[in-house]
Amino acid sequence: MINQLLFIGVLAAVTYASRLLGLTVMAGRNLSPAVRLYFNYVPAAIMVALIIKQIFVPSGGGHLVVSLPVLAACLAGAAAIKLIKKFLPSIVIGIATGLLVRFLL
Amino acid sequence: MNRNKGTFKKACVEALPLAIAIAAYGMSYGVLATQVHFSVLTAVLMSVFVFSGSAQLVAVAMLAGGAGVLSVLLTVVLLNLRNLLYGAALAEGLAPAKRWTHVLAFGISDEPFVLASARFKMVGPDPYYFAVVAGIFYIAWIFAALFGALIGGQMDPQKWGLDLAFPVTFAALLVPGLKGKPVIGTAVTAVFLSLVFEWIRPGNELTIILTGLIAPLAGLCIHRRELRD
Repeated sequence: MINQLLFIGVLAAVTYASRLLGLTVMAGRNLSPAVRLYFNYVPAAIMVALIIKQIFVPSGGGHLVVSLPVLAACLAGAAAIKLIKKFLPSIVIGIATGLLVRFLL
Repeated sequence: MNRNKGTFKKACVEALPLAIAIAAYGMSYGVLATQVHFSVLTAVLMSVFVFSGSAQLVAVAMLAGGAGVLSVLLTVVLLNLRNLLYGAALAEGLAPAKRWTHVLAFGISDEPFVLASARFKMVGPDPYYFAVVAGIFYIAWIFAALFGALIGGQMDPQKWGLDLAFPVTFAALLVPGLKGKPVIGTAVTAVFLSLVFEWIRPGNELTIILTGLIAPLAGLCIHRRELRD
């Protein structure tokens, strides 16, 4: 509990600092367009890395194995959000597909 | 007074549809947080004190994957870089709030930025509008997290597929933003890089940070090439 609270505290401080620094230190400065674009692309890269790390999981022998339920769930979730453009239903569709694949394997 | 009333109404009308979407993310976060052994209280406290969808979701996902606290924090710092841009862009519009800007800074994130920058362009500086919009999102985020944590705590993760909710949530967050060759190029490069890093050392803690640092450079290269063509 204490560790979690400490973690939350540090996370909150780091996040608030980024907000306040933007508002105070960065205001009025001319940032290069390249830096702006770079900052905008970072979240997509991190999300992809998080997804890949859950699809390709280390096996006991130190090799990577594909988790087919996770792969199927991600593909179904991605297709669903593209088609129906609604967040929660897409999550439900993704999870249901992953569960189905897990059941069939 | 009448002006404030009008601004309040306008902010509510414009924030409400987005607040519903934020509540959906908040609920997912609440469910996921309970899967990494956060209690309902700590899951909600994170929403109260951090109030950042991407930072919170990434943090709980990384903890679920066994990542260390330091790598989670470094990744969150990386994710928060865009707050610097949002803050810089909103500074002029929030300036009339004077010392209250430090409080308003807490509300800076994707959605308030989008609404407030559109508003400032139209009517000039308007910190009150920003405060109302951020306040609505904040309330929606906290209550949705509470609801999600209450539901999540009652479910067996394997039986209900809650372990699948992490990657699916990120896929659903990622796909709508994949517009334009630079972002798609960044995503494809991120797939390649994270696979390489994981292949070199399975379960590598640095995969997320290194991918987050390097892959956007590919997006920049593609953007520059597009400009040249």
